[in-house]
Amino acid sequence: MILRPALLAFCVASASAGDEARVADACYGDPSALVREAEDRLQMGPGSDREAREQARQLYRSARRQGASIAELLRAADLAETDGDLEEAGDLLSRAAEMDPSRLAASDLLLLAFRAEGRGRRREAIAEYEELRRRLRTTGDDAAWISARIDQLEVEIEADGIVSPAPPLAPPPEARLALAESQRALASGRLREARGNVELALRLSPSYVEALVTLGALETREKRPSQAIRAYRSALKADPQRFEALVGLAHLLWSAPDRRAKEESLALLDRAVSLRPEVRSLLRTSAARWAEWGDAQRALERLDAYRKGATEAERRETDPLREALTRPVRGEIEEPPEAAAATEAPTAASEHWRMAQVYLQRGDPASIDAALLHLAEAERIDPRFAPAPELASAIYEKRGDRAAAETALRRAVRADPSRASSYERLATLLSRDRARSLEAESVWRQADEAGSTEAAFYLGEAALRRGDRSRARVLLARYRAQSPDGAHAETATRALESLERSRRAWRTGEIALAALGLAAAGAALYRYRLGRTFAGWLAERESAAAAARPLVGRLRHEVLKHGGLVLSDGAAALERDEASPRREAASLLVERIYGAGAAGSEGLIAEAVAALRGIEGLAKESGARLNLRYRDPNFSPVFQGLESLRRVERDLRRIAGAGPGNPDSPRRRRRAAVSVRVAAERFQSVSGPELDRILDRAAGLALRAEWLRDLLSRVAAEKRCTAPVLELLGGWNGGPGSARLAVRITPGDWETIWRNLFANALLAGSREGRAVGRLGLAAESGRDPITGQALVRVTLADDAPGELDGETIRNRPADRGWGVVLELVRRHDGAIRIASPAPLAAGFRKGIVLELPAASA
Amino acid sequence: MSARTVLVVEDGTEYIEAFRRLAGAGEHFEFLRAGDAQEARRILAERPVDAIFLDVTFDRIAPERLEGAIEPLTERFGGDRRRAERHLASQQGFYVAAALADAIPRGTRVFIAFDFSSEPERLEALRKRLPELEGMREGTPISRVLDRMRESRPMSDSV
Repeated sequence: MILRPALLAFCVASASAGDEARVADACYGDPSALVREAEDRLQMGPGSDREAREQARQLYRSARRQGASIAELLRAADLAETDGDLEEAGDLLSRAAEMDPSRLAASDLLLLAFRAEGRGRRREAIAEYEELRRRLRTTGDDAAWISARIDQLEVEIEADGIVSPAPPLAPPPEARLALAESQRALASGRLREARGNVELALRLSPSYVEALVTLGALETREKRPSQAIRAYRSALKADPQRFEALVGLAHLLWSAPDRRAKEESLALLDRAVSLRPEVRSLLRTSAARWAEWGDAQRALERLDAYRKGATEAERRETDPLREALTRPVRGEIEEPPEAAAATEAPTAASEHWRMAQVYLQRGDPASIDAALLHLAEAERIDPRFAPAPELASAIYEKRGDRAAAETALRRAVRADPSRASSYERLATLLSRDRARSLEAESVWRQADEAGSTEAAFYLGEAALRRGDRSRARVLLARYRAQSPDGAHAETATRALESLERSRRAWRTGEIALAALGLAAAGAALYRYRLGRTFAGWLAERESAAAAARPLVGRLRHEVLKHGGLVLSDGAAALERDEASPRREAASLLVERIYGAGAAGSEGLIAEAVAALRGIEGLAKESGARLNLRYRDPNFSPVFQGLESLRRVERDLRRIAGAGPGNPDSPRRRRRAAVSVRVAAERFQSVSGPELDRILDRAAGLALRAEWLRDLLSRVAAEKRCTAPVLELLGGWNGGPGSARLAVRITPGDWETIWRNLFANALLAGSREGRAVGRLGLAAESGRDPITGQALVRVTLADDAPGELDGETIRNRPADRGWGVVLELVRRHDGAIRIASPAPLAAGFRKGIVLELPAASA
Repeated sequence: MSARTVLVVEDGTEYIEAFRRLAGAGEHFEFLRAGDAQEARRILAERPVDAIFLDVTFDRIAPERLEGAIEPLTERFGGDRRRAERHLASQQGFYVAAALADAIPRGTRVFIAFDFSSEPERLEALRKRLPELEGMREGTPISRVLDRMRESRPMSDSV
């Protein structure tokens, strides 16, 4: 439509003023007229460029209402760009590009690319850049910068698909404690307690990754897959690289009868494999699942990776699967759904982390360098952002720079000590160096403390390597309880089964061995530690000394005296060259040691055994068990000597019976001589006088006048009479009141004797109706005139009238009074008699003389 | 070297057998045996001996053959004759030594099978009656005893 000039002027005026409302529909009937007018305005002088351009732009807008050609669009875009209105310019260019992109200049394309970037439309920007790059290459211009720009945009697009880890927030100690309690309870099967504690941990720290993983394991164990999935997803939201969560969730999703779930499962498992390529069981599982899914290529890749480090048996096991992986893949493999986005806005550090992830996945050296730069920037922005050094370590490890990887992981541990995955990765890295296995184990322990489930498995393996089966069993069982679908569950189960088989196989032997060992230990204990010595027994049972003395005497006589007499010379005679002396000596030894037959003695061995048994029997009667054979230094050589003599009996009899038709051998003679000489030496090491001293110590009593006076007072009090003064008469060595005389008697029997003596003396006085006037005490040492034996005589003299003689006291009943005294005196090889007081002192009528063998004081 | 004559006084034959069978070759010893003090006295009256060896315990002979005054001993032991007999038997060697003291020529070695090592005063007391008396420590071999018997004079208290 061609507008009349007036109307045209009106339209232009209105359009110039931007008053669209005044522009009548009639004005739009001729857009070309508006365009011409716009150009005319632009032809005006420089002083009105801006205003003219504005008016022109308005006219062009009006013209576009009715449609615009690409030339008009481009022209309008130029004008807008000139005015700095890139937004409108971009819009116009975009419309023009839709019509004919070839009409756009390179600058136009660049503008569109910038515009798209500004709007966050990276793919759109990439398209524009790609067109620009093509255009420039066509003209021979440099387009390298465009490629870099496109690459950057592509990385950003990929990074958008990666979930950022949650901002680091160390769980409070209470939460960590609650988690530890939960894990312990879970390992022990106390599920309710485990749940209570893990829920507490999560209330205290909602994004506590290890607690979420534990919750996932608990829910799995209690067959609540939905809840388990939710827990694992939450864990991955907080830490997308959490290995146990990846594996746990992958297993759960694979079990779901849902295609999308299975797809996600496969992706999760792949992520887990990329994190832990050394966990070969995951590779095998991944291969099997991809095969089941129908992706033969992926399945083959993973299967071949597994077979690379497989044993011959493992390769044979997987041969059928490999052969079967020949079917072409049908259907599309849908892109796995994006993981749940973090609820919190990604931080700047996490943005760089995501970028680094993308570059890392590319794998080329330039990309890896770029990844490291981004990670360094992430660490700089937030030193507590542990995922950054953690990922950096993975990069260094890929490069083969273990030292740098370790350094990075240690930074990660310092950045967030509560982050179990950092410890896990550090321990895994260290374990690759056998020389640092102990260090690795230490780090696994730290991971365990941080709540790592996987740590229990590796610590269990370490214990197994050390041979600590019981510890290994506990740890592996804990892992299996905490992570029933964990990456190592199958390995842990096999190990536990093997341990159980070994345990059962050894059990029977162990029981027998334990019984033997127990018996041996018990025998050894019994032999060497239990039981009393002779001296120890007598020290507590002095009353047994009198009965033991003749037994000891018999032992000394038979073994020490007679044994010593013949054994040494007999041994020497056995080695003589002449046969006759040898036979004589052997014959003598046989008689003396083993007995001379029915008419003769029992022999040294029999006599000794009888004496020893007698001593042991005495002890047994008193409730004590002696260990003379192994514990007693005085008797043990006797047993040893006897044993030596027992062993040589056969040889001695052969030598004694040797003759021309039955010669003995030099070897036998030497052997016999040695055994007999050994016995002689053993017996010679026993000291008879020492045995006597032991007996005297047990039953040796120093005489004390004061003690007797005290006893007299007590007896008088018991008899309700006045105690007479006990006068000390001559004979107490060392002066009155003390005597260095000692007698062989037990204190108890000594007191009994004197009680009776004092009681009789007091009684004699009371019968006569008067108190006993005087009592005198005398003591002297002497010797038996024939035997020379040392004796002690103690005399109790009194002035009581009446006849008392030996016959009188002899006929008293043994259960009372004099009878008791006589019996006790006899028991201790003593004697008692009534003596005239004349030698004692004037005023005394009689004296009761008590004679006892002297003891070594 | 002329043979040395040894009178062994014992109620059995253990000592004399040991002497005879273990004496080394070339040993010049003649061993005589007496079963009690009376027999020993008779032998001593018949021929001189170079040494006397006394057993201590004579528990295999009849009590009436035991040397020693049984009645005082019985009295001493409170009328217990059996005890007195047992005492005599167990200490008979001492009683034999006491009984033969006058009949033993001076310089004749007298060995008694008793260990005085813990009771040196006892030996001293007995030597008042029998100066040539020697004891025998437990474990002393026959050869040592014979060595002592060969010596002309006692070198120590006990063999």
